[in-house]
Amino acid sequence: MKIKFTLNQKSIEHEANPSSRLLDVLRDEFHLKGTKEGCGEGECGACAILVDGHITHSCLVPLANVNNRSVTTIEGFRETSQYRILEEAMVEEGGSQCGICSPGMMLAAQSLLTKNSHPTEEDIRDALSGNLCRCTGYNMIIKAIIRASKRGEGLW
Amino acid sequence: MVNHVMPSSLKEALSCIQDGTYTLFAGGSDLMVQHRSPAQIPPYFDKNICYIAQLSELKYIKRDDDQIRIGAMTTLEEMLDSPLVPKLFKDVIKDIASPGIRYVATLGGNICNASPAGDTLVYLYAVDAKVCFESLNEKKILPIQDVIIGPRHTILKQSEMVTEIIIPQRHDQYQTWMKVGPRKADAISKVSCVGLAEIKDDIIVDFRIAWGAVYKTVLRKPEIEAHLIGINIKDIGMHIDDMLNRYDPWIQPIDDQRSTKIYRKKVAMNILQEFIETIGRR
Amino acid sequence: MKDISTSIPKVDNPEKLSGRALYVSDYEIPNLYYAKTLRSTQAKAFFHVIKPQLPQGIFIIDASHLPQKNVVKMIADDWKIFADVEVNYIGEPILLVIGQDKQKIEDVIHNIHVKYEPQTPIFDQSNIKTHKTFQKGNPQQAFQEADLMIEETFETGYQEQAYIEPQGMIAYPETADKITLIGSIQCPYYVKNAVVEALGYDEKNIRVIQPAVGGAFGGKEEFPSMMACQLAVAVHHLHVPIKMIYEREEDMISTTKRHPSHVTIQAAIKNKKITALKTHVAINGGAYLGLSNVVLSRAMLAATSAYTIENLDVTGDVYLTNSVPTGAFRGFGAPQMIFAVDMMMAHIAKKLKVNSLSFHRAHLAKQHDLTSTGGIFRDPIIMPEMIEKALEISDYINKRKIYDQPTSYKGIGMSLFLHGCGFTGSGEAEHIHAKVKLVKDEHDDVYIYVATVDMGQGQLTTLKKIVEHVIDREDIRIIYLPADTDDVPDSGPTVASRTTMIVGGLLARAALKLKETWKTHERMEIMESYVQPEYIRWNEEKLQGDAYPAYSWGVNVVEVEVNPITYQVDLKQLWSVYDIGHVIDERLARGQADGGLTQGVAFGYLEKMEIDQGRVIHKNFTDYIIPTAKDMAKTQTFFIDNPYAFGPYGAKGLGELSLVGGAPAVALAIEMAIQKSIHRIPVTPEMIMELIEHED
Repeated sequence: MKIKFTLNQKSIEHEANPSSRLLDVLRDEFHLKGTKEGCGEGECGACAILVDGHITHSCLVPLANVNNRSVTTIEGFRETSQYRILEEAMVEEGGSQCGICSPGMMLAAQSLLTKNSHPTEEDIRDALSGNLCRCTGYNMIIKAIIRASKRGEGLW
Repeated sequence: MVNHVMPSSLKEALSCIQDGTYTLFAGGSDLMVQHRSPAQIPPYFDKNICYIAQLSELKYIKRDDDQIRIGAMTTLEEMLDSPLVPKLFKDVIKDIASPGIRYVATLGGNICNASPAGDTLVYLYAVDAKVCFESLNEKKILPIQDVIIGPRHTILKQSEMVTEIIIPQRHDQYQTWMKVGPRKADAISKVSCVGLAEIKDDIIVDFRIAWGAVYKTVLRKPEIEAHLIGINIKDIGMHIDDMLNRYDPWIQPIDDQRSTKIYRKKVAMNILQEFIETIGRR
Repeated sequence: MKDISTSIPKVDNPEKLSGRALYVSDYEIPNLYYAKTLRSTQAKAFFHVIKPQLPQGIFIIDASHLPQKNVVKMIADDWKIFADVEVNYIGEPILLVIGQDKQKIEDVIHNIHVKYEPQTPIFDQSNIKTHKTFQKGNPQQAFQEADLMIEETFETGYQEQAYIEPQGMIAYPETADKITLIGSIQCPYYVKNAVVEALGYDEKNIRVIQPAVGGAFGGKEEFPSMMACQLAVAVHHLHVPIKMIYEREEDMISTTKRHPSHVTIQAAIKNKKITALKTHVAINGGAYLGLSNVVLSRAMLAATSAYTIENLDVTGDVYLTNSVPTGAFRGFGAPQMIFAVDMMMAHIAKKLKVNSLSFHRAHLAKQHDLTSTGGIFRDPIIMPEMIEKALEISDYINKRKIYDQPTSYKGIGMSLFLHGCGFTGSGEAEHIHAKVKLVKDEHDDVYIYVATVDMGQGQLTTLKKIVEHVIDREDIRIIYLPADTDDVPDSGPTVASRTTMIVGGLLARAALKLKETWKTHERMEIMESYVQPEYIRWNEEKLQGDAYPAYSWGVNVVEVEVNPITYQVDLKQLWSVYDIGHVIDERLARGQADGGLTQGVAFGYLEKMEIDQGRVIHKNFTDYIIPTAKDMAKTQTFFIDNPYAFGPYGAKGLGELSLVGGAPAVALAIEMAIQKSIHRIPVTPEMIMELIEHED
């Protein structure tokens, strides 16, 4: 079946089994390795991408469900100025250690800030609740997002 | 060979499933896990699949006099964003999973998954929600407790689809939602509870308690609730033991990897007691 | 140059944040084959495999293909590459099915019939494989002379490393004679040496490359060697590139976990002071010993934690059971013992009705004291200062006054602990022989060659920083690439909190030599090998002497609130004070501190893995509960400077220290909140309910 969607701002028409996991389609057919598999059951968020700007677990999405929608992976997001502000903040606050959760965390932050440009700490903890991190204990990531939200006036 | 169909209208979807050989596929957050294959192999389905998540006809939230009508393909996230959804229902939804899951999970999908621990279901049972389901030629509306009949088991035929959920408007003075899970997000409930009480001139005119994860479906016992109707809230303390005793044989949790029956039972009873005491404390 | 502690941006941030970093699963290799493991479904059985007719392009590799001994080189030699006649745990690898079509592999695996002859599995403590013992002073006399003897028993459960990147390995034929492996690993040379031995190849024909590693925490210390041997044997036979990435559930049921422990402590009390401890620790090694003997040692050596006790009688056992083998996990035996010791200290103070803080302080180790094994605490110990700081930032004393009563349901707990840095005893000198290499090329670019691995702790940054600071030249580049055993000498494994202190120390010496003999625009190579400091004397058999070259120290304070209706624990805030010598990078150190504390605290109240009759019950992220962002609370961390003379810029170890004290701190806080004694972790709501509702 042909599924039509936008991938990192490019129009795509992709022929594939529509029940294929979007995660596998992104990694294997589009060679976008920034999206990771950590658990395959929607718990860890390493597979997180943006669908129409909102965080989504790509291991739970069949290709069919992105028909006519826009998909953004870390490869697309990293070209934006919002990414640069978040990246700077993550560097300054030490929000990335082993890095396996980082693309997902960056996209979770973007998803949050798009809806709520000045989140509270509680808002951020909730926004990150679907992204597991085993290295940082989360606090440095949260501080990074607060810092980015303060710096990124007008961006979100 | 499995056939995949993406209908663009409700009518098309109903026609598609008429022959009874299709699995309805909504957000996927349950089905993708239940039918999971190892990495890089598509999930295994032995029936044809009809993808309905994007049926815009089923994505709405409307207010109609004294009820709220929610299209079955409305996602939990969309419900959080709507001013029409009651605050208590939003409190329930906020405790479910995580933002990414709430973005794709649909209310209709929740109902058809019919988990005994389903948090939205606990709310729907408490408020006497009705479920509208249709086939190509028929439309039925039934109370939710008549639609879900067991764990993962609804009365829907293969040719039927949930299309709308109807929630009566309520005016409770007391409402409680308690989700008891192993952690604060991404958690399957060990016990959950919605409690509602409507008071007029210090008299309880309506009292409801619905439990999740303590029975084969969500548990609601209107005949037990009736014992508090007409009681003055000043006297409610005297009825606590009686209510606990009446609920005791019905709250039948199990031991599983998540928790123990003795814990679930004790916590369920604690929640009930606390809710009644809260009403009495006023 | 600035003080080295001043943070610099972590060098691998750009690639990790942007998704460019390549983890093992991200490598795209032409003509790739996949491997999937067929695993035992029995806890203990003899077996034989009835192999089906294999479709075109599908192969089976098993014990019959092994060119050499069926052993995964590890500390004990009892791990097999493939089970051959018997299996000893559910999940034990029997064979690999290899092919290019993943669906075909699945179909074949489901059609392989294994005939089992079940034997009687053992799940209790009866099968003791290792017994160790050491003494200090005269414990028998101390017990005879005691006013009082107090005895308590403590238990800790399994803990799963739960790295977000599952285990994975790729092996491919680099040439007709040479096999290369890329794996999510901590120890490239452990893997290389295991494969060399498994195949009988010449060392130069096995190469191990480290990609980005998505968390390890000890879980990728020894376990990957088994995957590597399996894949290498397959490549040896099939001459094709093969990739094996574990599914999460597969990883959880079949890879190593923290050893569950039972600790019994008897304390001899005289004049309200502990004069002797008789401690016994038993740890569950699972089906095979692996490195359990070293875990046992470390647990035993931690028997006095941050305290000095004059007289000790410490015994320990590793017992084997027919369940998944246990192995390395950050802390390595110390978290189990330190939980027991800290709870015991608090319980004794309570029983004696003395002020808890005074009681703890009275027993604190001091410089020049004898350690548990009769070595010496040679370096200054600043625990009193650290405790003061912890009390101040947490407002512990005031909160304790308010919380420590019935029905407050609030609690605050403090743990005091140490962690020996580096390998136990003479491990460095006798087993590891760590080497590092610096090469300066004609452009005056300096290359760092070490075999230790950045798995998130930031060593790509810290080790580079050390070299940069020592060389202290503005105009040069320092290049530090992830380990490739073709290029790097064996610097030893990335374990035991040794990387900064030992490997960093060697690099500092090498860098100094380079600086002092610097020849501009000329190629130079400096190799530096570990030399054990003269003062370290260690008897491995008797467990006597200086167990560690240095000790790092810590204080954790955790504040909780317990919900009296649901018995759930809510973390309110956490504070830590550490002495890790001199901090090499403040931000990286704080990151390690935050993460370790989260894991340690979760070990104490949240993470529960049950294994029932050899079957892992909690085997995915839905059922094995690690904290989400909503579960953690604010943390505050302070490092107090106390430079260590023999560490680079005064640095000691941190990696494990930050995990070791979390469990007792949260358990003590919960004890206060519910006014009941705790002897077991994790302290789940179910346990809290039992303690509150049923008087023990």
